[in-house]
Amino acid sequence: MIIAEHLQKTYSVKVGKGLKTEKQQIRAVKDISLQIEKGNIVGLLGINGAGKTTTIKMLTTLLAPTAGIYTMDSIDAIKYPKEVKKRINMIAGGERMIYWRLTAFENLWYFGQLYNIPNNILKKRIEELFDLVGLKGKENVPVETFSKGMKQRLQIARGLVNDPEYLFLDEPTIGLDAVVSKELRQHVKYLAKQQNKGILLTSHYMGEIEELCDYIYLLNDGILIEKGTVKELANKTFHRKNYLLNIYNTTNDILDTLVTILKSIDPSVIIRQENDGVHINSKDSMSLELSRICTVKGWYIKELYEQEPCLEDTILQISKEV
Amino acid sequence: MRAFIKTLLAEIKKQHKNYFHSKIIYISLFLWPLLSFITTYYSFQTFDLMKSNVIYITQGNVIIYLLIGYMVMSFFRSLVQSAWNFSFERVSGTLELIYLSPTNRAAVLLGNAVASLFESIIVMLVFSVFMLILKKEEINANVIPCVVLFLIIMVMASLWGMFLNSIFLFSRDSGFLFTILEEPMEIFSGVKVPTELFPVWAKVLSVIFPLTYAIEGTRRVLLLGSSLYDIRNLIFISLIIISILISSIMIIINKVEKHTRMTGNLTLF
Amino acid sequence: MDLQILIGILKKNLLTQYRAYPMSFFVGNILTGLYTVLGAWFMYKLLFEGRLSSDFFELTKTNDYMGYVIVGSLTYLFVVRTCLNVSRSLITELREGTLEALMLAPFKRVEYFLGNMLVQTMTTTMEIVISLFIAIPFGLNLSNINLSGFIVSFFIALYAFFGVSMILGCIMLYTRDTYISQNTLFAFLFLVSGITFPTKYLPEWLNICANFIPITEGVILIRNTALLGMGIEDLLYSYMKVFVLSTIYIIVGFGVMKRCEEAALEKING
Repeated sequence: MIIAEHLQKTYSVKVGKGLKTEKQQIRAVKDISLQIEKGNIVGLLGINGAGKTTTIKMLTTLLAPTAGIYTMDSIDAIKYPKEVKKRINMIAGGERMIYWRLTAFENLWYFGQLYNIPNNILKKRIEELFDLVGLKGKENVPVETFSKGMKQRLQIARGLVNDPEYLFLDEPTIGLDAVVSKELRQHVKYLAKQQNKGILLTSHYMGEIEELCDYIYLLNDGILIEKGTVKELANKTFHRKNYLLNIYNTTNDILDTLVTILKSIDPSVIIRQENDGVHINSKDSMSLELSRICTVKGWYIKELYEQEPCLEDTILQISKEV
Repeated sequence: MRAFIKTLLAEIKKQHKNYFHSKIIYISLFLWPLLSFITTYYSFQTFDLMKSNVIYITQGNVIIYLLIGYMVMSFFRSLVQSAWNFSFERVSGTLELIYLSPTNRAAVLLGNAVASLFESIIVMLVFSVFMLILKKEEINANVIPCVVLFLIIMVMASLWGMFLNSIFLFSRDSGFLFTILEEPMEIFSGVKVPTELFPVWAKVLSVIFPLTYAIEGTRRVLLLGSSLYDIRNLIFISLIIISILISSIMIIINKVEKHTRMTGNLTLF
Repeated sequence: MDLQILIGILKKNLLTQYRAYPMSFFVGNILTGLYTVLGAWFMYKLLFEGRLSSDFFELTKTNDYMGYVIVGSLTYLFVVRTCLNVSRSLITELREGTLEALMLAPFKRVEYFLGNMLVQTMTTTMEIVISLFIAIPFGLNLSNINLSGFIVSFFIALYAFFGVSMILGCIMLYTRDTYISQNTLFAFLFLVSGITFPTKYLPEWLNICANFIPITEGVILIRNTALLGMGIEDLLYSYMKVFVLSTIYIIVGFGVMKRCEEAALEKING
């Protein structure tokens, strides 16, 4: 398990002011704690200038934290970065980070050598990886002739070449079309659930995080401001409940009656009639009351459900509040 | 050690495929020094070649004298170029991936330097054949000193390349380093004018470049038929340079990794 | 020619140059000049102790070797800097993805390149002036300069460099390469244009080659006015020769450039 506690990172940056340069301290990460368990996918979401990249760089040992504790399977990751490096890998989006003039196989082979993987194992693994990411038959083609999606697939294979226990995915689907992104999401799920890898994922696509992540950390300005599952985050953010009630043959009378009864239960309730039905926004849960009223009054329910906010709504709401 | 060699070989193979994929590279390795050599040869014509101040320059062998200078220089220059190429790894993000792996950094740098040696050796061969065709009678050399010197130059050149790699890699403005390293190397290493004629200040500068000793040694061995004993001082200095280079490379690699982890970028200078 | 467009291009180039003018680039250029002069000085003073070959004076009308090399090298530096930037301008636009936007605007290439050339001339002139001061201790003596002749020669030479830039620009755009083509060409020009030695030393066929490159005559013009003090009236024939030759270069350059642009744009989309 990865445990990071109160990570901090302060850079000193030289700022040019005319002829002089001045050193300025920038606190990119002020206080971030997080955990990644094997078999889980953890999402890292950031609101403007959050410190996501710095956090990932610290977790991948490319950066040493200014303060804080970071252990990976009880190894002190700050003190022994090399041990950690053997156990992790990173996959980033975009077309960089592979050698375009080398073939797909040569790319994987090269990185395999850097991890000192015995050649017979490496060969087998590369074969399996090509199978996994669907690049079979393209092994000996130079990467420069690959499409964006193919390059991204190769990136994934490259990130798996050392069979890492933990995987860091930094915007892995950026610029990919819907089909390839979907495929990629399936890979990620497979890696976590079938191969028991601990995965950290950052993405701009909320849908992706929502679909994949078991747990989400939300950063803002270098500080962890929220954490939890999608549902927990929604519950923390939206205290009021939203329902949609659709009754067969809704008349104005029915609507008036409904308003009167609901107001008597919860004076703060907001009700509006729209094309798809009646939208009810209440302080507390009201599903029981709603179904009871309909039964008692003899209205036929076409639809009744609680509208859970999607992750995007939650994040938008939180970013409004901070 | 096994891991070191694995990385070294992989790096050689990678750089070879990555940068020497097209034959155009030979233009820069071969045609440029050749054009430069011809220009210098004609520049020499503006002078009275009968009377020079150096024992091994005569009117007959001046062309061989210059060819040796340019041949050995192009050997070292290809390493400057390989370092320059390597600095692109930072731009393409692959450097970060190398740093993400637990591999030995020195092996990567050495591999990168050695990769360009293959091409250099080809260039050297072409130059040598050229020399033999032009002025076979002016060459006066013994086999053993030639072989020993060649090996020393190979080691020195690889380390010089590694050293440059370590600097280029972590400097933001590698183009600048290129201008302050490449041209002075040509002037101060005695490609055209032997360093023994230099005023003291220029001699001090020439001491820095391993190329100085490589050229001087090669000229003595090929033109004067010097034995290993005759060039023992040069060999001794070369060995000192080799050890200085090794230790500085190790220091830079360590320093850079620490620095990188502190600041998050691979820029030291 | 539309002055407004020319000024627009001038302004844009000045701004980008001024904002992103790297100090190191400047230092690097001056150092290049210094190294060339230093190299010549070593050869002249140390290796041959000032003993020139007997035909040097016959060919150059001077015994001032250092002056000969310094003026030659600085002129060459001027060629490299202007040619480099003017020729590279379009391919830079291609790489930065602005070429298509540029093609959409209805302006003439002449203005575009002229704007580039003018800006480059300004910065380079500044660099060369600084280099001149550095060259003085190495024995540069401009006391014989014929100022009016020099100024005319300078502009005629600029015209010549512009012509060469056009051709080089075509090559770059066609091969979509800057590194190899430019360095090979510059090394070739350094060899044949009589920068550090009279072109008569070259084999006959290279000598003929040199005669068809306007830079060769341009360098001679600058030397004759700056070092030997020749005036406009002495050089009329040379002026004509450079002008005609350069005009041919420019006409051919523009014609081919248009084709190269089209080909380059097709390649982007293809």
